[in-house]
Amino acid sequence: MKHYLKHALITTSLIPLLYVGMSTAAEKGSALKNDSLRTEPYADAKITGSFVRGESLDIIKKQGAWLQVKAKKSSGWVRLLSVKRGAATSSNQTAGVLAVASGRAGTGQVVSTTGVRGLSEQELKAAKFNEEEIKTLESYTLSAEKGRAFAKAGNLNSIAFKNLKEVKGGAQ
Amino acid sequence: MSPNQTIKNITTTHQHRLISFLVAGLLGLASLQSAAFDLKGALKDAVEKEIGQKSESQASPTEANSNTESAKPNHTTTSSEAAFNWKNPSTAEEISLGREIAGNLLGAAPLVKDAALQKYVNSVGRWVASQSERPELPWRFGVIESDDLNAFAAPGGYIMLTKGLYRKLQNEAQLAGVLGHEIAHVVKKHQLKVLQKQQLLNIGAGFLSDKYAKDNAVISKAIGSGAEISARSLDKTAEYEADRLGLSYATRAGYEPYGLTDVLQTLGQSSNGDSSVALLFKTHPHPDERLTALSESVGGQLDKINNGKTLEKRFYLLK
Repeated sequence: MKHYLKHALITTSLIPLLYVGMSTAAEKGSALKNDSLRTEPYADAKITGSFVRGESLDIIKKQGAWLQVKAKKSSGWVRLLSVKRGAATSSNQTAGVLAVASGRAGTGQVVSTTGVRGLSEQELKAAKFNEEEIKTLESYTLSAEKGRAFAKAGNLNSIAFKNLKEVKGGAQ
Repeated sequence: MSPNQTIKNITTTHQHRLISFLVAGLLGLASLQSAAFDLKGALKDAVEKEIGQKSESQASPTEANSNTESAKPNHTTTSSEAAFNWKNPSTAEEISLGREIAGNLLGAAPLVKDAALQKYVNSVGRWVASQSERPELPWRFGVIESDDLNAFAAPGGYIMLTKGLYRKLQNEAQLAGVLGHEIAHVVKKHQLKVLQKQQLLNIGAGFLSDKYAKDNAVISKAIGSGAEISARSLDKTAEYEADRLGLSYATRAGYEPYGLTDVLQTLGQSSNGDSSVALLFKTHPHPDERLTALSESVGGQLDKINNGKTLEKRFYLLK
């Protein structure tokens, strides 16, 4: 475990920029759906090309909710929700960092789970009601006013936004 | 000890038999393909109709109660002494059911002993829940001791996420997105409806066949044999709906709307062989599918939302 941790530290110190802004190294990605590429990060910008679902992409830059990507035939800007970050292949560095952080070795094998508490179905089935814990949980319950005060402290302002609707034929 | 007390004790014991079933409900047990008894589709239809028709329950309680009498210990009796109204549970009943389920989950994995963390999660959760269609519920949130990546919702507003998942989060908007998804399950009563269906089918089965109704062991076995029940999940559509609503709530709360999708991106990087996501992957559509569905629903609707906050500076870091 220590070894992986060390490895993680070295890796992260080498690629801090990747995590912060993805500004240097091109991150791999793939298209979550068919979409158009645009000259600028705006919905009404001119279309320069397109890609199809599953196509692999190079992510060049992020700006707000848009990503500048290089597709097979052309490059341009696309909404970030059209792209799955990280390549399907293993060499992606972000994936590597996450893998190390979760205790997995590069082999994709689970490292020893000694002392690691999981929640398997068996454990859930065998679980016994814990009155003390549920009382503790309930003791943290906050009023709506407390929630509002917390939001205000963080400068969070509620906005009008309608619940998203299902789009038929979207997901399969 | 009064006779009442005795009965209560019996039902309590029985509750524990129910536990595995109820906990399984957390994971979501949607389809009824392997329902306890081999019932005619007619019964299932009737049950679904009952759940859908709230206002029509005046005529039916008699029927329900007479069934409940004979098979009482098998059908849930919550801590209250009155029979649980499975056809049209009150908010109080919903909460007491959720409490049972949440209490069992806490029996498997206790709360992280960090009051500041729990308070923080309750603050974020409470604010997001206030943007939902059920702001009046006594919402409670907790981070539990587990290195798995998962989150759970139980009826009535009990929501928990694992420490493992919390550790993957980088800012408050991501936490808001995850909690929003679970809040949506409660708002839409996804788990409750599944439990209702199951219980009404059992009641119906008892009604149709005295043999089963009287043989508690058979019924308990049907309810309590957890293996196949736990393996069931909520309907995929329920998960997609919770994603859409969760993102909507977090956005309305003033957060940067991409918190939930960030987390899905992270989860999508996990390998299928990783045991920490085994249960999550088993009970949910793959993160990539969820991202695609969200992407289709969102379209350009987030284009004009530029002031959402991520609040990474305020994000509570685990000790």
